[in-house]
Amino acid sequence: MSLRHGLRTLARGALRPPENDSAFLLDVHRRAVPRERMARYADSFAVDLVIVGAGAGGGTLAQRLARRGWKVVVLEAGPFWDPDEDWVSDEAGSHELFWTEDRITGGGDPVELGKNNSGCGVGGSMVHYAGYCPRFHPSDFEVFSRDRVAADWPISYRDLKPHYERLELELPVAGDRWPWGDPHRYPHTAHPIAGGADIAREGARRIGIEMRVGPVGIANGSFGNRPHCIYRGFCLQGCKVGAKASPLVTHIPDAIAHGAEIRERCMATGIEVEDATGRVTGVIFLCDGEERFQRADAVAVAGYSIETPRLLLNSTSRRFPHGLANDHDQVGRYVMVQGAPQLAGRFPDELRMYKAPPPEISSEQFYETDPARGFARGFSIQTVGPLPIDWAQHVLADGHWGPALREYMRDYNHWYTLGVLCELLPLPENRVSIADGVCDRNGIPVARMDYTQCDNDRANIEFARRKLQEIFDAAGAQDVLTIDRYAHLVGGCRMGSDPERSVVDSDHRAWGIPNLFVADGSVMPTEGSANPALTIMALASRLADRLGAGRLDAGQANARRSAGRRGPRRLPRSARAPAPEGSPTAGR
Amino acid sequence: MDYRLAEHLPNLRPGKQPPAADELPRQRNGVTPQLHGRYPDYNVLDQREHWDEATRRVVLDRLENVPPPRFFTADEARTLGTFCDLVMAQDRDPKIPVLNMVDAKLFAGQLDGFRFDGMPDDGETWRRVAVGLDAAARQHGSRDFAGAAHDVQRDVIDALSNGKLHGEVWDDLDPARAWSVVMRAILSAFYSHPWAWNEIGFGGPAYPRGYARLGAGQRERWEGAPAFERDVVKDTRERGVEGT
Repeated sequence: MSLRHGLRTLARGALRPPENDSAFLLDVHRRAVPRERMARYADSFAVDLVIVGAGAGGGTLAQRLARRGWKVVVLEAGPFWDPDEDWVSDEAGSHELFWTEDRITGGGDPVELGKNNSGCGVGGSMVHYAGYCPRFHPSDFEVFSRDRVAADWPISYRDLKPHYERLELELPVAGDRWPWGDPHRYPHTAHPIAGGADIAREGARRIGIEMRVGPVGIANGSFGNRPHCIYRGFCLQGCKVGAKASPLVTHIPDAIAHGAEIRERCMATGIEVEDATGRVTGVIFLCDGEERFQRADAVAVAGYSIETPRLLLNSTSRRFPHGLANDHDQVGRYVMVQGAPQLAGRFPDELRMYKAPPPEISSEQFYETDPARGFARGFSIQTVGPLPIDWAQHVLADGHWGPALREYMRDYNHWYTLGVLCELLPLPENRVSIADGVCDRNGIPVARMDYTQCDNDRANIEFARRKLQEIFDAAGAQDVLTIDRYAHLVGGCRMGSDPERSVVDSDHRAWGIPNLFVADGSVMPTEGSANPALTIMALASRLADRLGAGRLDAGQANARRSAGRRGPRRLPRSARAPAPEGSPTAGR
Repeated sequence: MDYRLAEHLPNLRPGKQPPAADELPRQRNGVTPQLHGRYPDYNVLDQREHWDEATRRVVLDRLENVPPPRFFTADEARTLGTFCDLVMAQDRDPKIPVLNMVDAKLFAGQLDGFRFDGMPDDGETWRRVAVGLDAAARQHGSRDFAGAAHDVQRDVIDALSNGKLHGEVWDDLDPARAWSVVMRAILSAFYSHPWAWNEIGFGGPAYPRGYARLGAGQRERWEGAPAFERDVVKDTRERGVEGT
């Protein structure tokens, strides 16, 4: 073992993330994020940046730019969660974590939305994601060049790599040494795994498939003032413990300490544009039934793949009659989901898959294109661990109801579940649009999503499903149940190098609108077979670097700072809250 | 029955139907739906003092405060109540009040965040399913669904689950989509109920206690032992019920 490797092993888990004190700003005795001294900006005050959405993209962007002294307001449609009070250790009781307002889902292979893939509230969908935090592979950024399908990104893996590394320290990510894609290590060691994962890993090994533990955004051990994981298995219901990473605990506390305002229960309904200059001037939003307008020098939309297109399409003006940034009919197109069939296997021993975080082990051995398989791109294999209601849906999907369904449900403790994430290709007809004549409770037209698979998609899903069956066969499963489903959302406002075939450029800036940015998963031109959370954060982190360094025109923010005007302008209360007492970096 | 073997599982049996539920152990501690289950001495509610306050409030409220139907009319409730009992195999008391729980959700206007293209909203879907079940039963010569013979009811539900209902309501309402809407609500209600957790041996809420024993065949001290692991003779002696 080399000296360098030895030192890194010793330092594992002790490394503090640079430039982010979130874990240390949390309270030791309660889970609510301290915000007694959060800045409040007047609607009429033109802040440097308004961000719509406090999820993976918006939360990260707010923290980065607040650190640089930007005055940032984040408008979040959902609540600012207090995990002690608002979250429960219960499946049905967690309904409020999801985007539950109406949406229409259509096309040849319609996608279930709601709790499957849509979040609401500070922390966004990461509040209820399982916790897998894999990186994209370098090949993901050049799919068209390699395989003549899908698209190339206007940026490369190299552009995101430093941000991946930084975020893996901030979340932090725990897992085995990672041999796939760009090989790397994780700052925290792998978690223990439960009996079911052991059996599945052994089954996979017998047929030559390697599975490794992680990578998950769950600290192994305590982390700052975030306690250690208690392996209770309710990751998808919001981590009451605070062990699982979401912007609520990883970025929002630091953003607040550096002067960002997170405005909860504020639903953005439109973005104002100045016809003469083509610049955006701020965001219209609903708060307690009252319509308000926040002025801003720049706007970043981070509402994810359905609400971001919906907001842009609903923002019509004389200059943009078909919706903001939609001159070439690109907004909402190329929306993607991952094909995510799950197989459950039955074993003689009790496995009680409700214990331990659902994400335990994974394999990216089939991630890349293999011409022998007869389709482009691939899939990853992961673990699932459904709780009773999700398990019941699994049994139902296999065709059982009545006495047969009850029998399988009584057998719950003997089952273990594997899933795949198949990379499905971006297609122009798969898109988010505005539903005809359907409005939400506030009278705002809702989104409609149309989704149909192509032949490559079907071949990929079928192959992946067969692989799971082979793993369970090799592991000695007595019976197998299958459910077909989708996971995740990305695309819809993709980045590109051609204004006629994309919505934003490589700097996330809407084509033709100098101060409007999109900072969420909707900018992704392809989806990989990786869970998107970490990449969404990395994209936002990179965007913040470029905005903060003044490489992009985002209004006056940088000019003001270089002229030495760092103080508040016309603020009702303190503009920049001092760091809370006890913060290790107070006054830095 | 030796549950280590999988002989009780429907996919592995002729006709894909499980053995009669009467052969299951009777519940001795707490309640399960129809009082049978695989963990006769396990009552998840015994653990309530170990749950956090917010979770305890939600779970106990679900158990104790079940309002009468307010969204459905009496006729709809009769049809749909029969339907809910059949799809969940609740043929005798005690029953989890599935229909009341669904009704409460619809009455509160709680949405799930999407609806399929061409489908009405979830509440309207439920009402049309009620009309459609009666229509399908009439096609079999019965007066309505609730009063139909058991095999007619079973055939109608089978056809609904396979998307094979036709005529009247079903010409405008996709039966496969309607099935997925109503079953999503029914399964969420049934398996959110602590009685169902008793039946399947689920640990229930686990905050702030968590779990320590994660390995195959392991369980926490307080988790329920499955009945088949017990030696019946020894168990009877230990529990002091020999000869009663």
